[in-house]
Amino acid sequence: MFWSVTMSLLEGLWTSIELFLLTLLFSLPLGLVVAFGSMSRWAPIRSLLKRCPKLTFLQRIASRCPRLADFRPVSSLTNVIVWIIRGTPLMLQLIIIFYGPGMWFDNNIWAFGNGRMVACVVAFVFNYACYFSVIYRGGIEGVPQGQREAGEVLGMTKSQIFFKITLLQVIKRIVPPMSNEIITLVKDTSLARIIAITELVKAGEAYMKSDGITWPLFYTMVYYLLFVGILTILFNRLEKKLDYFM
Amino acid sequence: MSILEVNHIEKHFGSVQVLNDISFTLEKGQALSIIGASGSGKTTLLRCLNFLEKPDHGTIKVNDRVIFDADDPTTQIEREIRKKRLHFGLVFQNFNLFPQYTALQNVTLARELLAKEKVGESQESIQKLGIELLDRMGLADRANHYPHQLSGGQQQRVAIARALALQPDILCFDEPTSALDPELTGEVLRVIRSLAEQKTTMIIVTHEMAFARDVADQVIFMDGGLIVEQGDPKQVIDHPKEDRTKKFLARYSSEN
Ligand SMILES: Nc1ncnc2c1ncn2[C@@H]1O[C@H](COP(=O)(O)OP(=O)(O)OP(=O)(O)O)[C@@H](O)[C@H]1O
Ligand SMILES: [Mg+2]
Repeated sequence: MFWSVTMSLLEGLWTSIELFLLTLLFSLPLGLVVAFGSMSRWAPIRSLLKRCPKLTFLQRIASRCPRLADFRPVSSLTNVIVWIIRGTPLMLQLIIIFYGPGMWFDNNIWAFGNGRMVACVVAFVFNYACYFSVIYRGGIEGVPQGQREAGEVLGMTKSQIFFKITLLQVIKRIVPPMSNEIITLVKDTSLARIIAITELVKAGEAYMKSDGITWPLFYTMVYYLLFVGILTILFNRLEKKLDYFM
Repeated sequence: MSILEVNHIEKHFGSVQVLNDISFTLEKGQALSIIGASGSGKTTLLRCLNFLEKPDHGTIKVNDRVIFDADDPTTQIEREIRKKRLHFGLVFQNFNLFPQYTALQNVTLARELLAKEKVGESQESIQKLGIELLDRMGLADRANHYPHQLSGGQQQRVAIARALALQPDILCFDEPTSALDPELTGEVLRVIRSLAEQKTTMIIVTHEMAFARDVADQVIFMDGGLIVEQGDPKQVIDHPKEDRTKKFLARYSSEN
């Protein structure tokens, strides 16, 4: 019995790990894109006015209503999306993404072999990209402007400043909040069961339903604790590595 | 021929005019000190010289060559600005050392990057220069320390070495001792004084009146974005002509 439970929980664990890794793989870079979107300073009316100062109707807008002229569509839109996704439960987003297309468009786009898993990864990636974007943004904006200016004054290019000066300082800043978020992701993978994916918890719970035994459910805790334990050790090592400067 | 000639610089932030018709010249090997109340535009002036701000009006000439002209976009091409700003060095009020690099790496980084771009100096000669500069700052034994392991005064001296490493024509200081505990200002002022003795061309924004009077060859007093009074330091600081200068200095000596 113990052996067969272990094997089936391992299978569930593997599904959880798959979801975990795929989510990280896509949401880490996507989060950076979202972060840059939310920091975008592009204001179309202002920049158009700068290029063609003769457009009098634009000038009138700018002087009457400077808030409209300074409107930053990319940044505003990104911020609204991030707000919605961070402000609502991941479980709800998962349900909407998986069942939505079938219900509203009569077109279940997830009806293929690995459809459930793909839908799940999509929901997780969007959700986590938004969380990561806020962390990235905090890290980038947390590097004092003086650091970039010091680089500029020393004749460095924009990319030299980014790679040689800013990047490592950003990484140092984001490692602690990132490790928190990534550990949360480990546990959030259990939400996948909502759309009938047999991840770790569902694998354990199955024994409760079929055989009336509860110890496999507690057994799953060991897996989670090991998983999180390993991550914690890795992150602590990384933090230690970056301890040499402040 | 002056090494630096600044003509009719103006700068606005929104509707606020921060610099108003600033003109002055600086001779090679001389030290110019800028004094003035908080908000009078001293920092902004240095930032304009270092291309961190773009003046709305005016020209800047170095060695008789126009390096910036607000009315001439060809003097404002991004790629060339990078090279032009190497005429100037800037030492910041709060040092802005790079925390992830040692003192020596802070000093050599920019020069190494420049050497990499075009075949330039060898790594060894840059290292040697860096150590030499730190030695001049009295920091030879701190070369491998990270900024957070150094006192404020030591950090500022590393920052001075870092600026000197690119051998700028004109070295600018923005209140180099204002962020320091009083007992640490001496070591930084001593370094700047020795630079003056070695005929380094410098512009020093400072609130240390006694220091300005001793070290500078020329003093500018700014108020409200204008140059109010300008001339020999002993003249301006001990016997100011303008009422506004007198008022500023009187308040200053009563505070200290
Ligand atoms: N980026 C900016 N945007 C808007 N206003 C600015 C900006 N930088 C400076 N100012 C304003 O310009 C004026 C001059 O500032 P500046 O920093 O040049 O003064 P300062 O003489 O260096 O003062 P201090 O002695 O306090 O350093 C101030 O009124 C300041 O508020
Ligand atoms: Mg200032």
